[in-house]
Amino acid sequence: MKSRTSWVRPLLAIAVAAVFCLPLYVALVNVFKPSTDVVASPLALPAPPALDNIEHVLSRPDGLFWYGLANSVILTTLTILITTVLAAMSAYHLVRSGRWWSRAVLGVMLAGLMIPPAVIILPITRILDAVGLMHTMPGAVLVDVGYYLPFAVFVFMGFVRSVPRELEEAAAVDGAGRFRTFWQVVFPLLRPASASVLIFLGVWVWNDFLTPLLVLGPGAGNTVTVGIFRSIGPYQQDFGAVFAFMLLATLPVLVFYLALQKHFVRGLTGGATKG
Amino acid sequence: MTNSVRSRTGTDTAGERSRPGPPHRTPTPSGRTGGPGGHRSRTWSSAGAFAVFVLPTLTLFTAMVLAPILWTLYTGMTDERATRPETSFVALDNYGFLLGDEEFRHSMWNTVVITVIVVLLTNLLGLAIALLLRRQGRLYSLLRGVFFTPVILSAVVVSVIGRSILADDGLLNSTLVSMGVASPPGWLTDPSYAIYSVSGIMVWQMLGFAVVVYLAGLAGIPAELEEAASLDGAGPWQQFRAITWPMLASALTINTVMLMISTFKVYDQIAVLTNGGPGTNGTATVAFEVIRTAFSEQRPGLASAMAGIMLVVVAAASVTTLKLLQRREVDL
Repeated sequence: MKSRTSWVRPLLAIAVAAVFCLPLYVALVNVFKPSTDVVASPLALPAPPALDNIEHVLSRPDGLFWYGLANSVILTTLTILITTVLAAMSAYHLVRSGRWWSRAVLGVMLAGLMIPPAVIILPITRILDAVGLMHTMPGAVLVDVGYYLPFAVFVFMGFVRSVPRELEEAAAVDGAGRFRTFWQVVFPLLRPASASVLIFLGVWVWNDFLTPLLVLGPGAGNTVTVGIFRSIGPYQQDFGAVFAFMLLATLPVLVFYLALQKHFVRGLTGGATKG
Repeated sequence: MTNSVRSRTGTDTAGERSRPGPPHRTPTPSGRTGGPGGHRSRTWSSAGAFAVFVLPTLTLFTAMVLAPILWTLYTGMTDERATRPETSFVALDNYGFLLGDEEFRHSMWNTVVITVIVVLLTNLLGLAIALLLRRQGRLYSLLRGVFFTPVILSAVVVSVIGRSILADDGLLNSTLVSMGVASPPGWLTDPSYAIYSVSGIMVWQMLGFAVVVYLAGLAGIPAELEEAASLDGAGPWQQFRAITWPMLASALTINTVMLMISTFKVYDQIAVLTNGGPGTNGTATVAFEVIRTAFSEQRPGLASAMAGIMLVVVAAASVTTLKLLQRREVDL
């Protein structure tokens, strides 16, 4: 009985996935077609595949892609490294100290998890203006680090509790100071949490739109994600070029994600199985 | 105790780095006795350690999140706008105005509609697909990856793909025209479709997240439970109702709260897909309205009051939902 219908599940699963994939397929396949073919037959395979759209994006006279790429790499790298280190240190200290004010600080930061960026972005631009960091890369990094710290602290919190205190005590017996104990004993043990934080933030910062749009602004150039928005006019016709821009803008984060995928899903589902 | 710790911590950072190896129970240059003495876990209250470990985080969080929230709450009670030379305190006038303002109420309604559609549909489809993919093997792990792909794409990328397909002269309509449909609908420009198109694109992007969370929940259900039920003669539906669904309670909580929080603040998709239209605010959400009022219309006072309302609603809605779903988890 059961074996006779066993082909239903894989077939259904493939069919549903195929329908789900259709938009991705359309975007990907049309990168390699001239724009006239895109409109005429969007679903056809590119035969022969043309690289004109890719070349067009890479050699744009305004350098929208290359400047965007450089900005995205700098903003993302600095943000995720600084956030990871700061969050690991503060989560460790706040969890271990166990004082009432530590719990208060953690509580306030966790409330920060659900603050929509739209609520705070206007005052943020004022603060950056006041300290002369508006439309600069350091300003954008500070904004992103501040905004994503609650999430990172939240991830580290759970992991810090799982580090055995005996290890820290052993390090202290051996004469290691608090800072050294953290760096050489605790921080390496927090590696799974660090990986989760790096991957989540890497994807989020790379993909972010509103904050770089308003904070990095036109002067310093912008990220590659804002570049996508800039590359489409109000009446977008040249689908091939837009899709090519998006593919090139997404490839770095896609590679980054695939390389660390295991940790990503593990970090994501950590809470789902606890209940 | 506290004093001695405080006096040491100044040199803590520098001293630690330059020291070559662990000086076993030898006094350090800074006077620390690393011995088994009682200070090791009691020193956590020291101000120096706090300054090194927590203060940078706290400073940035305060400057970039806390202070802006307070500023928003205050500015929401002023009449600040670019065209007015002097700003005065107007208490709750902005809030009173917004509650009666047709445009703002419409953006509130849009946000609620989008949130309800995304939360319900993403949960429903996510659960269905998770049940479908609940098997071992290479095919299923590949398909899991497929459904998760849009989650790691930028909302801008997803929206541009959605726009190129659903625009008036987009790929869907040009296909429909070539198939003989005379005047295909404006999926993003017709007020009766636009908000559903926007919601649909968001469901498509977030679906993979819900699938992964439900799959993790399903993986946590002990196989014996379902086997026992099926031995007792429970059909698939009874089994789902009695065992699977209750066991997924915490997955439902996570999905619902995460989807609510991320849908409520939606801005990017609106900016790319419709720019708030059709009309003045066919699909404008509260977040979109806040940004438009603050930056395009240059009315910080009014925009901040909107943001204040948004903050209260988001906090109240997510805390209430979380509490309700968690109470349900306990009851089950």
